[in-house]
Amino acid sequence: MAEDYEIKRFRQAITTKLANVPFISTYAKTRGRAYVIAWCHRISGTGLVAYVMLHIYTLSSLETPAEFNAKMKLFSFFIFRLLEWLLAIPVIFHALNGARLILYESFGCRDDETMTRWVLGLSAVYVLLMGMLMIMGNQSVTPLFFWLIALIISTSLAYLVASKVWHSGTSIAWKFQRITGAFLLIMVTAHLLFEHINPSVGHEAGVVIDRIQHFFIKVTDLALVIAILYHGGYGLLSIAKDYLQSKVLKSSCAMLIIVIMVIFAWIGLRLTLLV
Amino acid sequence: MRESYKITLKIRRYDPDNDRSWIQDYHMEAGRILRFVDLFRKINEEQDPTLAWDSSCEHGQCGTCTVKVNGKPLLACELLVEDAVSYFETTIFHIEPLDVAPAIRDLVADMENAYEKVDQVMPYVIEPEPPFEEGNEHPITAHELEVYVDATRCINCFCCASACISSHNSFLGPNAMLATIIRVMDPREREKDKRLKVLYSDQGISRCHSSMACTFVCPKEIDVAHFIALAKEGRFK
Repeated sequence: MAEDYEIKRFRQAITTKLANVPFISTYAKTRGRAYVIAWCHRISGTGLVAYVMLHIYTLSSLETPAEFNAKMKLFSFFIFRLLEWLLAIPVIFHALNGARLILYESFGCRDDETMTRWVLGLSAVYVLLMGMLMIMGNQSVTPLFFWLIALIISTSLAYLVASKVWHSGTSIAWKFQRITGAFLLIMVTAHLLFEHINPSVGHEAGVVIDRIQHFFIKVTDLALVIAILYHGGYGLLSIAKDYLQSKVLKSSCAMLIIVIMVIFAWIGLRLTLLV
Repeated sequence: MRESYKITLKIRRYDPDNDRSWIQDYHMEAGRILRFVDLFRKINEEQDPTLAWDSSCEHGQCGTCTVKVNGKPLLACELLVEDAVSYFETTIFHIEPLDVAPAIRDLVADMENAYEKVDQVMPYVIEPEPPFEEGNEHPITAHELEVYVDATRCINCFCCASACISSHNSFLGPNAMLATIIRVMDPREREKDKRLKVLYSDQGISRCHSSMACTFVCPKEIDVAHFIALAKEGRFK
């Protein structure tokens, strides 16, 4: 009995903490913890779509290496290093919370309290690990080996989710949202880690160009770009549909998002194939 | 334990004749076990007979008295003053009508408008399985019933629809989804395809973002999010 009480108290700890944060407390009390987390998922996702676009745009200057190196010099300033580190927070939270939603919706995992604790715990570990790697500097990990491992795990996860959701009656677009989510869970978090295991791979034009000459890296990068843009585009459209009433507005918004995503996919494709 | 509380109800009023909305304060001494419907009645009797509000059974079975108290959709007939003070940690309560339908006057919303969405999912047996030869009933086994019996407690109070992160514009609503999921799980129902079509339509469960607010606010303690997740998984047995 005492043990049950302790477990219950521990489980309620997150809700209680949320209920004490000003502003958030209102929603934690009136809609519940998961509702607050759902909003955090939306906000982090929207922010990440904006960041990805900025990232692809920045990388597009690889065609003129001097321009790219000049842009990257900005990242030697402390404030940009700090922002780079802080980027790990929305990335890992969105990835792990997405995994939590997939487990809840498609794998019948109903112990949401435990899953939420894992999301928050693992997010903290990842952010600290990222900071540690940034302080340690170059770890000299072979790109081919790193990405091979990441791709194998990501593809396996995507296959696992695909095999689970494929036969449900939900739309193909919805299914792909989950499949790309599972794929990106490892790919995006690995991408961020990789940038800081070998700092030069992300910051020096010559090293980046040299790396993406390899066919396997080209395919990996392309898969990453396409999956991110699809996942982000579907996410944005899904949020927009909650607020737009008329069919015309919904269709126009869908078209706009598709056009923007195709443009950025084209920039990514061009970058991967031509550089 | 206190016997009564000095409370303030800040009620959103709406005058349809002049299309005017405002917040009106009502101060009162309220006994600890009075329900919020009792407070509304007390206002009518002692302070302001013009305040319009809605109720029917006042036993948590019809959902007519659903309002938002400090932002939380709930049944005014189930909320005791002492529970409200303890839960919201205040004696000031902001009361609004549900936002799933336009207000007719004060706390009364045009629920017919909200029910149109539930009607779209046809919350009844469309094509019943023929009864067994002996007798007229079609028995449901305990095992079959166990899967969805909790969902049958839904009274369509629209608390879940009001709390949902997905809007009322494009989503039929958690209660409408629950109504159709029940009939897909119901062994007496033969017409499953029509229901699955609505369930997986653009206004169906793909609009659900699993924010689980439906489960959190449900006054009948139905795990609505669980049933919607089962439908996403395609697991109806």
